[in-house]
Amino acid sequence: MLAIAVGVGLGLFYGWVIRPVEYVDTSPNTLRIDYKSDYVLMVAEAYQAEGNLDKAIQRLTFLGEASLVDLVYKTMVFAETIGYTDTDLAKMQNLLSDLKAYSLLQETPAP
Amino acid sequence: MREKRGPWYLLTGLLIGFTLGLIYAWAIQPVEYIDTAPSSLRADFKDQYRAVIAAAYLANSDLVRARARLVLLGDEDTFRAVAEQAQRQLAEGDKVEEARALGILAIDMGQGVPGAALTRTPQATSGIPSQASPQPALLSTDAPPTGSTAQPTTNNTPTASPFPTSMPVSPTITQTGFSLVRQEEVCTSPLQAPLIIVDVKDAAGTPLAGVLIIVTWDSGEERFYTGLKPEKGMGYADFTLTAGLVYTLRLGESGTPVYGLSAVECQDAQGNRYWGAWILEFVQL
Repeated sequence: MLAIAVGVGLGLFYGWVIRPVEYVDTSPNTLRIDYKSDYVLMVAEAYQAEGNLDKAIQRLTFLGEASLVDLVYKTMVFAETIGYTDTDLAKMQNLLSDLKAYSLLQETPAP
Repeated sequence: MREKRGPWYLLTGLLIGFTLGLIYAWAIQPVEYIDTAPSSLRADFKDQYRAVIAAAYLANSDLVRARARLVLLGDEDTFRAVAEQAQRQLAEGDKVEEARALGILAIDMGQGVPGAALTRTPQATSGIPSQASPQPALLSTDAPPTGSTAQPTTNNTPTASPFPTSMPVSPTITQTGFSLVRQEEVCTSPLQAPLIIVDVKDAAGTPLAGVLIIVTWDSGEERFYTGLKPEKGMGYADFTLTAGLVYTLRLGESGTPVYGLSAVECQDAQGNRYWGAWILEFVQL
């Protein structure tokens, strides 16, 4: 039993520390929050220039979050926390506002 | 009476335990990567990420920031990665706008300065990095872009003005006013496929990137730009011909057409046949 226990310990050490599972082809939803924030800022920058909300939504979908409004809000709060400039925050806020309006429009039942 | 056990029992136990440990560590509870960096993204995701960087660059004209963001993708040569993706998407033809943005970014990176003068409407700030430009030191692959906009602003100079909703279809470098100074069939080295090689320079002899080239034939048309193969020169572009077809090439929408371009067949001294190229050199008037 002791030998098995030691073996398990060695196996775990090897599998977790020495040679852990390598993730080289990750998907965007695993990106760290600061990278996600910068990505959302990029989308906001492009959106301000293009004015194309569909395209912005398509780009945000890349991050694989269920709610785009939540995504932009969450990243904006983070961006504010770490001191993004007012200019950048305004772009993100603009995107957030338009996304919210769009979401409301989608939820409103047709008369 | 106590049974005497040899070292094999110990080794077997270790082996079983080790196997169980590995199964647990690799399959049941593997290391989870939840806070990954863009450099670990799958290749197609990286392409999408890069395209958004280019779209943001078109909007803010901030080459420093675009470069810093590209570094996050961990490409060995960020410039080449952008140029190759632009070429690839142009060839695929399904994401022309993305290809255009990537092409402009590649060209501007190749020139070392934002190409606002070449590619933008006058509303754009001509390549002056915004107050919020990221600091490269804070944007290495190890350090995420958290500080990218965290630099305190000393004044409130506005960044790039909003661009018009409709972006220009092509770089605004003038497409007229080019003179064809050389048109020649060359057989200097065997090529795998027949080519048209275009070289565009300004009046001072400086290679010109971002010049639109339109090649048409009976059943099709292709548009591409100079400067997307920077290793061959910023004024360089090439196009692969299909044997049996006749092509017409012009610079920009209103350039003077060069007619009758077809695959160049060459022959060496031993009678071996191989493909050659058309060389077309243009100089801006």
